[in-house]
Amino acid sequence: MRRALTALGVLGAAATLLLSACDRGAERSGGSGKSITVVIAEYSKDHTKPFWQGLSEQYTKQGGVKVDLRIIDWNSIDQQVSTMIQASQPPDVLNLNSFSSYAKDQLLYSADDVLSPKTRDDFIEAFARGGEYQGKLYGFPILSSARAFFYNKDLFARAGLAGPPKTWDEFVHAARKIQALGGGVIGYALPLGPEEAQAEWAIWMWNNGGDWKSGNGWAINSDKNVQTLRFLADLANRYGVTQINPGKTNRTDGAFQLFKDGRVGMVMGFSPLAAQLDAEKKVSYGVAAMPTAAGQSVTLGVEDYLMAFKKTGNQDAVKRFLDLYYQPENITRWITAEGFLPVTKSGLQQMSSNAQLKPYLDALPNARLAPTTDPAWDRVKLDVQQNIGLAVQPGGNPKQVLDQLQKNAVVAAGSR
Amino acid sequence: MGRWRALLWLGPSLALIAAVVLYPAVALVRASLSRYSITGVHQGSVGAANYARLLEQEALPTVVANTVLWVAAIVLVTVVVSLGLAQLLNEDFPGRRLVRWALIVPWAASVIMTSKLFVWIYDYYFGILNHALLALRLVTAPVDWLGNDATVMAAMIAVGIFVSLPFTTYVVLAGLSAIPGEVYEAARVDGASAWRTYWSVTVPLLRPALLVAVVLNVIYVFNSFPIVWTLNDRNPGFAHDTMITYMYKIAFKSSLRDVGLAAALGVVNVLVILVAVLLYLRTVSWREAEA
Repeated sequence: MRRALTALGVLGAAATLLLSACDRGAERSGGSGKSITVVIAEYSKDHTKPFWQGLSEQYTKQGGVKVDLRIIDWNSIDQQVSTMIQASQPPDVLNLNSFSSYAKDQLLYSADDVLSPKTRDDFIEAFARGGEYQGKLYGFPILSSARAFFYNKDLFARAGLAGPPKTWDEFVHAARKIQALGGGVIGYALPLGPEEAQAEWAIWMWNNGGDWKSGNGWAINSDKNVQTLRFLADLANRYGVTQINPGKTNRTDGAFQLFKDGRVGMVMGFSPLAAQLDAEKKVSYGVAAMPTAAGQSVTLGVEDYLMAFKKTGNQDAVKRFLDLYYQPENITRWITAEGFLPVTKSGLQQMSSNAQLKPYLDALPNARLAPTTDPAWDRVKLDVQQNIGLAVQPGGNPKQVLDQLQKNAVVAAGSR
Repeated sequence: MGRWRALLWLGPSLALIAAVVLYPAVALVRASLSRYSITGVHQGSVGAANYARLLEQEALPTVVANTVLWVAAIVLVTVVVSLGLAQLLNEDFPGRRLVRWALIVPWAASVIMTSKLFVWIYDYYFGILNHALLALRLVTAPVDWLGNDATVMAAMIAVGIFVSLPFTTYVVLAGLSAIPGEVYEAARVDGASAWRTYWSVTVPLLRPALLVAVVLNVIYVFNSFPIVWTLNDRNPGFAHDTMITYMYKIAFKSSLRDVGLAAALGVVNVLVILVAVLLYLRTVSWREAEA
């Protein structure tokens, strides 16, 4: 008798699971207008969830439409979004660092469909252009950030250096001086491991006058770029002014960790690193423009996106949600809390008085974006992350690595 | 009529198996025969093309060799060490209960947390391992355990052994305590040495336990994802990946970003582990061991 009950219980549980799975499926794919799914990447544990939860509640109060809010960490967001789309259950609103592949697959509403003209016109022009695919705006800027050059003031003083280097020659000189201090001190922390190698690489590339593309075609293995990668390999293997195995060092647990520990003279950082350094108060640091070999210092700007997925009957609900987020007080409150930079003209005005953000806001006019408007970029980025580190390892071949990246980029551009 | 009634009783478990085993398996095979865009949009069927492309991947031979080494080294060392540990824990000594509990810790802790911990233990600049080895003068300069191509695999295997030991030791321990005292008494009466008793009495009687330990470990270790993923995340390329992490990278982290191709490797992975276990069971003639 007891067994029979257990069996019934299991059957019941299984049936409930199956039914609820079907039920949820119907609710989401139908897009009946009663609820929308919003997927947001987790920028920080402290601020991301509270803000979006508050916004969702405000939204539901206004229009009665429920929000199924999902905050997903950066490590697994690509995988989870891909799974949703494979199952034909895309979210209604998605926040990610790429958009053009989704636009290419015709999954998205353009700005004409879901943004009010007022919202559209408030975007800073460069960021609006960074969200265009074939002349239409699909990737709505959600926030931005800019890299800056961090240096350890104590180590600079000990090495007798007056200030941060402005040119590559000065940079090498400073790195060697600091490395020569001995005791495990490192001149420059160079993270070319898979985590964010494309960002580190892009900054060096641009500051030598190179670029990802030339016109419409990829130009990853241009002479300038080969020269740049050889320079980075030299930093590691000829001058010996980097940490060990820079091609196998990630940013967060590698380069930043060493800088926060006070062992490193220089590193490319961004505002969240500054926040951590300020909290720990262990390192006295300065923030400066990137050293350049091309005359004009260039930094990397990063723009993340909001996208709206086309589903029958969700257009109105999505439009109201986006309009709510882009109300100046909402978007600015969140960007300020997370320590990032504005993407709207009104936000820029409001935040320009913030002294801590000054170095980054100053860098913004000279910031360049990754070629996210090209759908091939989504593959090129991963390829660079996985392979460029090999070039700076002992015995690595910068030209060969760049040639292979270029070859793969051309294939990616022609695929599908 | 009786048959139908049996089905009624089997029904719940059959339904559960269908939902959590059969359906995912079918979905995996179906995915492996399909083409997906980088975003995950299904673009139709491609037959066996994904399997053919899998064989063309330059990294595949390295990855397969890594996988064989990874599984063989961990299972072999784990079983040998577990035999010793179990023997020790089977003896009566003060504090035995404490040691037995302590052994469970690596098993109870989340493997991801253990892996993260080892990332810092192995760290070139901050790691305690280099500090210890330098203090003992076993090395003259610190070693970049996770960045040096020569040491990464060994470092990962060591962690794999560490987390596999508890389970294996307990299986062997269970096997040891199932051996009746009379056979040892008989061996003693026959004048067998300790070593001889171990080889001729203990080991043969442990065979069923060892069989279970090896088969389950081969499956666990082959399918293990977190250790390689966490300890190898700084290294570019696929030089230290196993077939499991390679599958994930194909789907989401390499420039391929191809769910169909990854699913094909997923199907291959299931078949490989199935064939490996069957071959093993055949060579050790498991029916005999059961008897």
